[in-house]
Amino acid sequence: MKAAPWLLLLCMANAQAAQTLPPAEAVAWLQKMADASRQLAYEGVFVVRQGDGMQTLSISNRPSTQGNESRLLSLDGNPREVRCSQTGAVTLVSDGSQVHTEKRLSNRHFPDLLPAYPRALLNWYEVRLGEMARVAGLDCRNVEIQPKDAFRWGYVLCAEKDSGLPLKAVMINGNKQPLMQYVFAEVKLGTGTQKLQSQAAPRVETPDPARPSDVVFARSLPPGYARVAAVRRHLPNMPGEVAHWVFSDGLTHISLFLAPSDKPAEPLKGVSPSGMVNLMRRQVGEFQATVLGDAPWVAVEAIAQGLEPRK
Amino acid sequence: MNTIQDNDERLSALLDGELTDPSAQRVIQQLVGDPDGRARFAEYCAVGDLLRGHHADLPGLTGKIMAALEEEPTVLAPVRRDGGRRPLLWLAAAACGILTWGLWGGAPRQENYAALASLRAPTDVAPFLAAHQDYAQAVLDVPEMQFTRISLSGETR
Repeated sequence: MKAAPWLLLLCMANAQAAQTLPPAEAVAWLQKMADASRQLAYEGVFVVRQGDGMQTLSISNRPSTQGNESRLLSLDGNPREVRCSQTGAVTLVSDGSQVHTEKRLSNRHFPDLLPAYPRALLNWYEVRLGEMARVAGLDCRNVEIQPKDAFRWGYVLCAEKDSGLPLKAVMINGNKQPLMQYVFAEVKLGTGTQKLQSQAAPRVETPDPARPSDVVFARSLPPGYARVAAVRRHLPNMPGEVAHWVFSDGLTHISLFLAPSDKPAEPLKGVSPSGMVNLMRRQVGEFQATVLGDAPWVAVEAIAQGLEPRK
Repeated sequence: MNTIQDNDERLSALLDGELTDPSAQRVIQQLVGDPDGRARFAEYCAVGDLLRGHHADLPGLTGKIMAALEEEPTVLAPVRRDGGRRPLLWLAAAACGILTWGLWGGAPRQENYAALASLRAPTDVAPFLAAHQDYAQAVLDVPEMQFTRISLSGETR
């Protein structure tokens, strides 16, 4: 009988854990995780699982006065390295004896997945607290970021109990089935503050901003999405330039590539085995438009169908 | 029965504009003194409206169509029937078809076009997938994709 009050409290705690957090509390959790990913010094090894594929990467992050510097190195498969700093991000791919360097448009990577100012996410996502868990020997709290509509995937991040650093991130679909997972296998927090030892900054071609007189415009976008980037760039194994636009709600990113086309592009739909990545191609005026992203098909389709040639 | 069938055929022909002017006038004059005939003619008009999509204000239409269908004899063995027209039956069947099509068409669908065929991965898609990795979350290999050719509604291919 004496156990009844404790059982009641336990039940209340569980019920609260499943409830949507009030906005202020939700923002506090998101901000804590976003800040920890950038401002905390850490290094470790994490595993990425997507469908049947798995990849292991090492990561080092150092805060600095000009922001943070991070370095990711693939430990299996083709040697590949990503370096990110306030001045930009580059990918170095080793192909036998040669190393190719490419400028990256974004320095987003695990565990730094959330935008710097995540408050606006609450317009399109609900935040719930989940169970405590243990990852890489550290205790963490699951934080569920659930989409409010069908135009985006959700996430479950496991925030380290003291620092808030995400130790695990799972991208989930509408049925809460995992699409992609990142998990730290080992991680050391607060490991030194010296700058990352890096080679001379590789010389890379900076993409040109897309001209404002865009020949194509997006008549309509899914709720919450806005164009966050528009550049013209050369892509490997492709002749000429393409325009690369990126639409995002802050958490989900969808790319649009516009390439001149002599003959009408055949309408095409592409989907990855897990359904995580979706692609749609169609002809828009004199351009072949390819829309793709780690987003539900309805979002990719809505953007592709909303494109019109500017007259 | 034959008389009723003949009348039905005449009403259907009148509605379809298949009668000559004198024949049409004769049928209309018969309708003036025939309340049952006027009721059947009203049903024909209602079914015609349904086929044209003007069915929002037709109370009891389904009931009337079902009653008409119930009046049809149950065929226990296939019998070769004469080529007489059964306009109400055909119209009722068409109406049921339209209703079914309308219900399916009105349901929310994720796609308004059909996948026509599976395709091999287009060679020029891989660079786009790789370039998108700039905004994806890690240095993953380009994902394998399954492609299908699709037909866009209302778009010239």
